[in-house]
Amino acid sequence: MAELNFKMLEVDLTRHKTNVIDVTEDVRQYLGGRGLGAKLLWDRVPPGINPLDPQNILYFSVGPLTGFLGSVVNVSAKSPLTLLRGQSNMNGHFGAEMVYTGYNGGLLITGKSNKPVYLLIRDNDIEIKDASHLWGKLNLETQFSLKQESKKHLGDQNFRVASIGPAGENLVSNADICHDFYHHAARLGMGAVMGSKNLKAIAIRGTRPPTYADPQKIFQLLTTFFGKAYPHKAKDRRWGHTVSMPRRYYEGMEGIKNKQMGWDAICDLSNPVLLEQGYKVWNDSCTLCPVSCKVPYMRREPPLGPCAGELRHDNAGGWNANVMIPGYETQVYLTPFVDNLGLDNEDVSGVVAWVMECYDKGLITRDDLDGIDLTWGNLEAICKLITKIAYREGIGDVLAEGLKFAPQKIGRGTEKYAMTSKGVAITSYEPRGSISEAVELAVNPCGELHGGRGHPQRVMLDSLTICTFLREPLREVFGDVAEWGVAMLNAACGWHLSKKDWADLTHRVALMERCYSIREGYLPQRDDTLPNRFFEEVIHNKYGKPLVLDQAKFQEQRAFHYSIYGLKQDGTPQREDLVRLGLDFVIPDLERLLGNLD
Amino acid sequence: MEDLTKPTAGSKPQDYSPTMNSPSAERGKTGWGVEDIPFPDGVAYIQARWDLCIGCGACEIACSMFHYGVINRELSRIRIYRYQTPLPKSVQNVCVQCSSEERECEKACPLTPPAIYYDAELSHMRVDIDRCLGAECSQCKEACSADIPSFYPPSHNYSIVCDLCEKKGKRRPQCVEICPSYALEFLKPRFPQHLERIHPDEKAEWLSKRLYPLAKDTIQKPLKDIWES
Repeated sequence: MAELNFKMLEVDLTRHKTNVIDVTEDVRQYLGGRGLGAKLLWDRVPPGINPLDPQNILYFSVGPLTGFLGSVVNVSAKSPLTLLRGQSNMNGHFGAEMVYTGYNGGLLITGKSNKPVYLLIRDNDIEIKDASHLWGKLNLETQFSLKQESKKHLGDQNFRVASIGPAGENLVSNADICHDFYHHAARLGMGAVMGSKNLKAIAIRGTRPPTYADPQKIFQLLTTFFGKAYPHKAKDRRWGHTVSMPRRYYEGMEGIKNKQMGWDAICDLSNPVLLEQGYKVWNDSCTLCPVSCKVPYMRREPPLGPCAGELRHDNAGGWNANVMIPGYETQVYLTPFVDNLGLDNEDVSGVVAWVMECYDKGLITRDDLDGIDLTWGNLEAICKLITKIAYREGIGDVLAEGLKFAPQKIGRGTEKYAMTSKGVAITSYEPRGSISEAVELAVNPCGELHGGRGHPQRVMLDSLTICTFLREPLREVFGDVAEWGVAMLNAACGWHLSKKDWADLTHRVALMERCYSIREGYLPQRDDTLPNRFFEEVIHNKYGKPLVLDQAKFQEQRAFHYSIYGLKQDGTPQREDLVRLGLDFVIPDLERLLGNLD
Repeated sequence: MEDLTKPTAGSKPQDYSPTMNSPSAERGKTGWGVEDIPFPDGVAYIQARWDLCIGCGACEIACSMFHYGVINRELSRIRIYRYQTPLPKSVQNVCVQCSSEERECEKACPLTPPAIYYDAELSHMRVDIDRCLGAECSQCKEACSADIPSFYPPSHNYSIVCDLCEKKGKRRPQCVEICPSYALEFLKPRFPQHLERIHPDEKAEWLSKRLYPLAKDTIQKPLKDIWES
């Protein structure tokens, strides 16, 4: 069996040059996706730079399994929102298309173009084209015109497009990268980095799949999975990922009114059955995924006009009771509105909830907001404020900095109402509802991602670029992640991994990411915490149960999480682990910042 | 649980009897409503239910795997077209084994006898791969109203059309077997109208019109139209 080679395409936008790099050795060490992204950030980005500097990289990375099992693409850059390691996952068809171009080691974008451009990649033809006609357009319009152009001029309508909206162009800290209108690399401001490089969009189409080492074995695994995975995730297929929301609201696990309450009557309207009956159109899936959990919605009636999009737990929770909007009716409108502007729904809803509370308490006045009456649940005001943020007009210019910097700039005691961890908004999660979720939100070296994203196994899945929602069906069909992971990797790449190697890989990719964040100024002891509100204010869930976090218990749980992540009690890596896993190059930098690692 | 330590077949494409040619229950699809529909003898075709297609592309991989032993959707005889209508929607495109009067590809072929023809004995379209003129000719593709015959000039420069996965007289369409959303059916045509030769562009347009009657390029009114009117 011949081993699979991994090639990475580097596009230098400053000099308009492309370069193909063999990354097979790196993939053996870090797998690709989130792991290789952290390694490239460490190697390529000088410490302490501004994330919007041309020296920052933007790495669209895929893993060895992308292209035959799911199609996640992981986007890495230094985050403008947190100034730490930034990464975000984007599902859809982009990842598979990227693998099929032959660049299965990912696409690395460096430098900065002096005028707006877009990338057109078709196998090994890479064109950097002028995008002045697209600049300023909304996401949907951009993707539409690029698709039509490629169909007209190249006779091929299967191009996949990832683009940024006006928010990304205006370098809003929580701008996202949008693909196929409802797949987003949303979190941690990846769109702002793309905008800082003057890159409006990437259109990609591949016709050369990699020659896998053992296609028979792969196909056998795939067939088994497709046959047996169907009964799993049936709820998600029917109702989308809003299916967990009623239960979470009842137990006090969802934020309400910027985390001031544990239960409110409007939560009862967040019922996925109403969503399905009222707005569901059809099911859609990503490339080679049997789960098909994408459930697009649309609404036709006035006064809000026709619109469509996709609701899942995170954006739905953010625009739901957290800003006191009742039910899904208005969200079905709001979500695509925000998507079109190119903002991260979840993060911007956190910013809006924070401004709402400050407005409620009189810390931010109507004059500050240029006359917007931002009361709880006021849809018109929310839309206007979001537009201001996306175009950086008036107060939007400050709010566009995200929850790490905007509260500091505004001051007046507004800081304590910012529900954030390391600068990323906590919106649809209520940490008081579940201590394990609270700790998972806190200990992530990238800032608050969705719960549990900091766990080494999840980092591993992101490095293979397997979707989170494939995790459970895969476990139920094949068993433990190490088993199917090793079998699939060996079949695809022709390697001879053992379970021991898998454990090392998991440890290595998780440590690499943490080390990069530490180099950029992250101190686990200081930063792995939550706002004081969660430790001080008591809320009551639907059943009247009082919920509050206990500081001592939180510390204890956090130490426990560090231990299962293979870290020391203070959350820093151990020297012998770093040496054993071949990460000794990080030791001098870490020792300069943290003192002796022993 | 699946035994992952089992040795696999060799590298050449062979029959997939352990995984594919077994009844539904063995493949893991169990329960009411997932029994195999008995496969037809004689004239038959693959019915694409494009409203159910989720666009995963598993059929493409099953097809290329069966015929060429590689994972390459460019070599597949069934193709998924993905549209933004503006909501993303995928539709399948596969040969329906037209009846003799409507076989435009056969009529359009410049060769005599045509290189693409219907094999009455095996009841499916066949291509004479040695004589086919390839992508430079493309007469059959242009004649077909659904744009079905495809070419892959780098290695397989001949017309690629569905043969219902026929091997030594046995038919077992792999795309139908693998489809996770039951959007493909292997049927006997009851009426000639069943054989739909609709271009995927049209399919997508009809679906979008039917399910949400919007103008093609608008999905949401601009903000000022809503608040300032």
